[in-house]
Amino acid sequence: MTVMTQASGGGRSGSLYDVIELILDRGLVIDAFVRVSLLGIEVLTVEARIVVASVDTYLRFAETASRLELTASSDTRTVPELVEAIAEDGDGSRNGSRRLVQGRKEGSR
Amino acid sequence: MSTYVYAFTGASHPLPVDGLAGVGERKPALRLVRQDGLAAVVSDAPENLRAKRRDVEAHERVLDTLLAAGTVLPMRFGTVAADDDAVKAELASGAKRYTRLLKRLGGKVEVNVKAVYREEAVLRELLLGDRELRTKREALQAADGGSHQDKVAFGQRVSAALDARRSQDADRVVTELRPCASAVKLGPPVDGCFVNVSFLLGATEREGFEASLSRLRQELAELAEVRLYGPLPPYSFLAPAEAGD
Repeated sequence: MTVMTQASGGGRSGSLYDVIELILDRGLVIDAFVRVSLLGIEVLTVEARIVVASVDTYLRFAETASRLELTASSDTRTVPELVEAIAEDGDGSRNGSRRLVQGRKEGSR
Repeated sequence: MSTYVYAFTGASHPLPVDGLAGVGERKPALRLVRQDGLAAVVSDAPENLRAKRRDVEAHERVLDTLLAAGTVLPMRFGTVAADDDAVKAELASGAKRYTRLLKRLGGKVEVNVKAVYREEAVLRELLLGDRELRTKREALQAADGGSHQDKVAFGQRVSAALDARRSQDADRVVTELRPCASAVKLGPPVDGCFVNVSFLLGATEREGFEASLSRLRQELAELAEVRLYGPLPPYSFLAPAEAGD
């Protein structure tokens, strides 16, 4: 597989791993043919890639979210929530808010 | 000996299979089974085939080589027929369907888009956009981090907010790229990605698609990394259900 534009870098095996779920879960399935059981596979387990929310995940989120700096500089993001947040809190300057709204319009074609 | 099947193609495909190795420890040579204007690319099936990296790579290398030379219907990894005659019989009985599929997919490729958040950036946005979340955060900070239970509860709340945000951003990616493609198919959830989606692109659509993708990348630059994989054989666009797309 070639990568049309630079993706995650890395070699061929990295690319393979990144679309492994397509190779293992998609493609033609023909009733008259059998498919090798994927039980007991090594290395390439699709299951391992499925998101599992756990206490560890929650603790990590809590830890990261607690230590983040929340200075809302006007050039951070251009999403509606942020515009609202700044409008609500009144801690964004008029110019800052306008710039954000403008950025969002340009972004949403 | 049973027959491992890689792909079906039209008989007019150049079928550059000489020198390619198939799946299995013995790296079997590839051969062609022809029937009704169609061709199947096959090899001897190895004993005890499993989804080893080596074999998945071999399977994919065969499909890539075929894709580079023409239109291909990729089999799912691990497809084994009783023998070459069983492959012939399938090509004969499904000739109409496979010919139609080949025509519909003619010259088209699949590309796969996955996007991953920059975690701190997205959490910062969630906090800035959610006053209740900020209040809880301040309470935790004031309580010197809070108890284990408090932390888990807060993290759970962050996680729920992130889930909502994921589906919103996934919709955005799909909505912005869909108009540039012949068809779209959501992929299974993949760890760490908020969207996993495949598009079917004709030769004339690729330029426009890449332009939209690079615009999207710019818009999301601070928040997420958007990755593109392909061109791939059309793994995700073989079901009859997609015929109307």
